[in-house]
Amino acid sequence: MCALYPRTEALPGIEDTDLDGFLRELRSEAPLLLRFGLFVAALVFHLTPLFTIGRPFPAFLLPKEQLDRHAARLGECQWYWIKQAIFLLKLACGLCWGRNPVVRERMGLAPYGPDSNGWRQK
Amino acid sequence: MRGTHVSFRSAVEPAFEAEADVVVVGSGAGGGAFASYLARQGLVVGVVEAGPWIEPEQYPHSVYGAMRDLMDDWGMQVTLGRAFWPIVQARVVGGTTVINSAICVRTPADVFDRWEREFGIGRGSGRGRLAERVWMHQEALEKELSAEEVPLEALGRSNALAMKGARALGYESHYMTRYVERCAGSGQCLQGCRKRRKRSVNVVWIPEIIERGGFIVSCAPVESVTFEGRRAVGVRGRFLHPKTRERGSSFQIRAKRAVVLAASPTKTPLILWQSGLRHPAIGRFFRAHPGTGVFGVYEHEVDHNIGATQGWSTLAFRDRLGIKLETLHIPLELVASRLAGGGRTLMERLARYRFFAMWCHSIRAESVGRIHRTFFGKGIVRYTLNKEDMRRLREGVYLVARTHFAAGAQSVIPGIGGMPFEIGPHEVERIREASLDPRAYVAILSHLFGGAVMGADPRSSVTDEGGRVRDCDGLLVVDASVIPSVLGVNPQHTIMALARCFAEELLGG
Repeated sequence: MCALYPRTEALPGIEDTDLDGFLRELRSEAPLLLRFGLFVAALVFHLTPLFTIGRPFPAFLLPKEQLDRHAARLGECQWYWIKQAIFLLKLACGLCWGRNPVVRERMGLAPYGPDSNGWRQK
Repeated sequence: MRGTHVSFRSAVEPAFEAEADVVVVGSGAGGGAFASYLARQGLVVGVVEAGPWIEPEQYPHSVYGAMRDLMDDWGMQVTLGRAFWPIVQARVVGGTTVINSAICVRTPADVFDRWEREFGIGRGSGRGRLAERVWMHQEALEKELSAEEVPLEALGRSNALAMKGARALGYESHYMTRYVERCAGSGQCLQGCRKRRKRSVNVVWIPEIIERGGFIVSCAPVESVTFEGRRAVGVRGRFLHPKTRERGSSFQIRAKRAVVLAASPTKTPLILWQSGLRHPAIGRFFRAHPGTGVFGVYEHEVDHNIGATQGWSTLAFRDRLGIKLETLHIPLELVASRLAGGGRTLMERLARYRFFAMWCHSIRAESVGRIHRTFFGKGIVRYTLNKEDMRRLREGVYLVARTHFAAGAQSVIPGIGGMPFEIGPHEVERIREASLDPRAYVAILSHLFGGAVMGADPRSSVTDEGGRVRDCDGLLVVDASVIPSVLGVNPQHTIMALARCFAEELLGG
C-alpha cells in the first residue's frame, strides 16, 4: 500500500495517514470476499516484480527506486486479472488516503467529521 | 404495532409477528411510492427493509463509511461476464434514493410506444393509456418531492463548464431537475445528503407512512413470501444485524390484502424463487444503463467536488445514438482507482486533482443479461455488452471528451485500456479507434431493469401490466424488475410513477 501511494514533495503518502488503524477497521468490518480479494491483490503485488521490472524478488525485498518502478508498471498493466487486483488495492488505499484531513486540505476539500456508525433502533 | 418502527431483534428474543393490510418488501423508489400512496388511502402498510434506518444526520461522511453503512455488499457486487462491472445499490431504509442524485426525468413517449409494440403493455387497461397515467403521477410527484433545477449557487464549476462545452458544440443541454429542495451544493449526494435537502424516501415517505398508522421493519431481509393456496398472505425472514451480520430472531408479517415486492432487480427474482415460484421468465431480461467517466484536465482549478454532484445533463444524443451525458463528481477517495499507474506516477497524477472535472455518460444498452441463484442462495448477474453496445459506450467516451475540449480542457483522460493515459485535443479522434473489449473500460451499472418483467404474454412475462404476479393472487412486483426495456433516461421518476399506477390498480381492483 505504501508503495502504491508513496509520499511525494506535493502530497502526503498513505504512510502519513493512520494506515494501521484503517487496516484494523477493514479487517473487522469488511466482508470476507473483499478481504480475500485484497489479500490476493497484495500477493499479486509482491509476486510480480519479475514480470514488471525483470527482478526475481518479491516486491518487499526491492530497493525504493525499483519498488516505485514496479508499482508504476503494475498500475498500468492491461492484463485483466492483474488490472482488477490492482484496482481493488488502489481502491482500498484510496479509502484510507482520501479521508485523511491533511490530504483533503491539500486538495482544497473540507475535512470529514467522524462517521457515526449508528442507525435508528427505535 | 401501528405507527412504529421495529429494528434488529437478537436470536434470543421471541419471533416477531405483525399484520398489515399490505406488506411492501423494499423501501426504495418503487416500494416507497407504492406504500405512501396506499397509506394515504387509509390502508395499514407494513414496509420491510433489509437494511437499517439511518437518519441523514447519521450518514457517514467518508466514502468508506458510505460503502460500509449504506451500500449493498459494500458496493462490491459485480456482474459476471467478459468484464466485472460493479452494480451500485443501497441496503438501507430509503433504498438507492439515499445514495443517488435524485434525478427527475419524465418517461419519454417512445418508451411507452416500445412497451406497447413489443410487450403489449398499455393496450387495454381500461383506465386510459399507461403513458398518460404515468405522466400524471410524475407531475404530482414533482410537486410532492419539490423537484427543482439545480440553483445557480449550487452549480459549482464543473457543471458550468459542461454547459459551456455543450453550447460551444451547439447541442442542447440543461441543468438537472432533481428531487432536491434548495440544494446546498455540498457534493455529497452519493454518500447521502446530510443536509436533508434530497427528498429521498427515508426523509419524505417513511415518516409519513408511520404517521398514517403504518409500520417499518428494518434490518429484516425477507427470505420468502408465504402462501395459503394460491394467495400470498405474508412474508418471512430473519433479522440481520447491520454491523456484525449476526442473524437475529425470525419474523413473520401477515398481509390481509396483498404482498408487494420492491426489493430491486437483483433481489426480487430471488425472493420469487425462494417462495417456490417457477415462472420461466423469473431472472430473465435483465438490462441496464452501463456508463463510464472521463476526466478533463483544466488549466485552472475546477474543484469538481464542490457543487451539485450531478448538475448537468444532455439528452441530445439519446434518440439517435442511445447515449446520455452528464456530470458526476467523484469523491477523492475513488479518484485514484480511476487513474492508471502506481507509486510516484500515481501521486503526480493525483496532485492535479483540483484541475480535474469528471463527466460521464451512460448508454441505452440493448444487451440482455440474466440473474442466477447461487448454491448459497445469493444472486449473481450475468451480463456482457454486445459489440453494438460497446460501440455506443466508446462513442460516449468520445462525446464526453469532445465536450471537455470544447469547454477548454487542456487534455482528457479517456480511461480506456490500450490508449495513452492522457490525450490532447488533436488526438480526440483516436478514441473512435479504441478497443471494443469490455475489459478495457472501467464501467459501472447504475440503472438496473428486469428480472421479473411485465407484459401481455403470460409465457414471457412474470407479471401482467398491473404488476400482478402470474399464477398466484395478491402478489405484486412494483420496482424496476418489472420494466421490460431500458429507458435511456434516469429511471427513478419512472419507477415511482409506475408504482403509483400499480397502487391505483390494486385499490381499483
